[in-house]
Amino acid sequence: MRRFLASLRDGVGFDILLVGAAMVFLIAMAGLPLIYNVLMSFQQVDMFTLGSLIRPWAGFQNYIDVVREPAFWLVTKNTFIFVFFSMGGQFIIGFALALFFAQNFPGASTIRGLFLVSWVMPGLVVGAIWSWILAGDFGVLNTILKGLGIIQSNVFWKSDPAFSIWAVVIANIWLGLAFNMLLLSVGLAAIPRDLYEAAELDGANAFQRFWTITLPMMRSTIGAVLSLGLIGTLQQFDLFPAITEGGPANTSTVAQYWSWQMSFQLYDFAKGATISVMMLVLVLIASIIYVRSTRHEVRG
Amino acid sequence: MTAQIELKNIDKHYGAFHALKNVSLSIEKGSFVALVGPSGCGKSTLLRSIAGLETITSGDLHIAGKEMTGVPPRHRDIAMVFQSYALYPHMTVEENLTYSLRLHGVGKTEAKAKAAEVAATTGLSALLSRYPRQLSGGQRQRVAMGRAIIRNPKAFLFDEPLSNLDAALRVQMRKEIRALHDRLGATSVYVTHDQIEAMTMADWVVVMRDGIIEQQGRPLDLYDHPVNRFVAGFIGSPAMNFVDGVIAEDGRGVVVGAGDRIPLARQAEPGRKVVAGVRPENLRVAEGAGSFHFEVGNVESTGSATYLTSKDGALQLVQTERLGFSVGDRVGLDIDPALVHLFDPQSGARI
Repeated sequence: MRRFLASLRDGVGFDILLVGAAMVFLIAMAGLPLIYNVLMSFQQVDMFTLGSLIRPWAGFQNYIDVVREPAFWLVTKNTFIFVFFSMGGQFIIGFALALFFAQNFPGASTIRGLFLVSWVMPGLVVGAIWSWILAGDFGVLNTILKGLGIIQSNVFWKSDPAFSIWAVVIANIWLGLAFNMLLLSVGLAAIPRDLYEAAELDGANAFQRFWTITLPMMRSTIGAVLSLGLIGTLQQFDLFPAITEGGPANTSTVAQYWSWQMSFQLYDFAKGATISVMMLVLVLIASIIYVRSTRHEVRG
Repeated sequence: MTAQIELKNIDKHYGAFHALKNVSLSIEKGSFVALVGPSGCGKSTLLRSIAGLETITSGDLHIAGKEMTGVPPRHRDIAMVFQSYALYPHMTVEENLTYSLRLHGVGKTEAKAKAAEVAATTGLSALLSRYPRQLSGGQRQRVAMGRAIIRNPKAFLFDEPLSNLDAALRVQMRKEIRALHDRLGATSVYVTHDQIEAMTMADWVVVMRDGIIEQQGRPLDLYDHPVNRFVAGFIGSPAMNFVDGVIAEDGRGVVVGAGDRIPLARQAEPGRKVVAGVRPENLRVAEGAGSFHFEVGNVESTGSATYLTSKDGALQLVQTERLGFSVGDRVGLDIDPALVHLFDPQSGARI
């Protein structure tokens, strides 16, 4: 007993205690709900079995039902559009801004700091503001585009089936931009200046320096940003109720919003769980890429 | 001999800070020039200005006869070895070596052949597929040098390349760099704060302080004839001893404190206040009474030499004999009058 207490004070026991506390928390708050969710996707769930853990086994029937839903392929397409273009926009504009603010001009770091405002704001608030900006009849975006002569008549961003998903994409790019820019800025700052000087003396022009020094040195950061971006985009929920509510006619419904609708509006918990398990597989792939990219980090 | 690098009236300001003040310097083709001085003296700024990594505020810079002011570094055809080596961490040794060749459109097989050749001269042949993080400090240093020589540039610039190595390796690399320079017939500019590096490697030493060139010349000329007290104190190790005194009435010696006298080989202006400078290795323990005395405060023996330091710390003496002195002994000294330097106490200039 004394040895046990001693090891708690200054030995392996203390390490195990600290790790154990974190593990208990993780298992209770994340692990068990996750397993329960996966389990539920293989069960028949209705109002009468909602309270029990063991329910009639459904096998892959829930998965088959979800794929046979009329909205399934539309939602899948929307999800891919949403994820791909949100991430693309956030990453490309974020990288451009990070490179811009990496130039040492007066006020660079202050202005960069101001970009964090978008990150601090709650998604619902951002959604509400973008909802006004994108409004068809009185929105600022239409006014600007008309003023510039790009469009002749109002675009109904939120209620036109051709534009509704893009309305959320635009808002989401704005929302995630600061996070991307910040991570990429940190990555840029970690590249030693003298590498660029050496490359310059070796004869590299600005484009060659970016291509042969910046990009390869940013490999792990870019991997992290993209996989965190994927997770963040698949998590993005607040903008949908605030801007389009998935409409019109599901043209802006994405998987995570659909899953929520299934579970908490239609009370079809089995389908809701099934959709979220499908997404989990995607996130898992992203996480594996992320872990691998940070493991192969290049250090000078 | 023609000047490979010609600097005329170079000025450099960082905002209010005047980093280089009207610096003019001519670097001969094939010479090894060391820029030496304490930190903040402008030696690195001068080197980076030659490379084009700093823009000069005013003045003229010619490399191989061509005006280079305003020309970007990549068009100057100059190679630089950085203090940190600045190896590309994501490239193998071979890719590091061939980077500049690839940028200039040299074919893959030719670049590989060239890398093998350079690796052979720098002792890197076995390491070509390694990454910089897998190399020791000395090996990284060699890669940095190899990357410089593979291009056959108009000049090599070295920015304190040895300061990250341990003492033994530093002595070895000193010789290797010099040997490489001689073999390539290159023009080299070498920045260091270590005057021993400057003295041993260079055939022309430029001593800088506060953005100006205090003195330039052959290493031993700087040692024998420093133009002012700063250069005298900077060149030579251990540093020159400085003693305040007054020229004796006969003008043939410097009277110091209570009756001590430093003899002079020439006539000086009697009664003038001066600073006498004598190198520690030029002080000799007197067989008789001696003309000059000090009380021993510290004795250090390395075996090959004995270092005596006076009680007040102002004087140091180096002898190759083993001296049996201990702390508190009073030592009489002889001084060769020809080896005494005189400086003005105010301006520090040589008298």
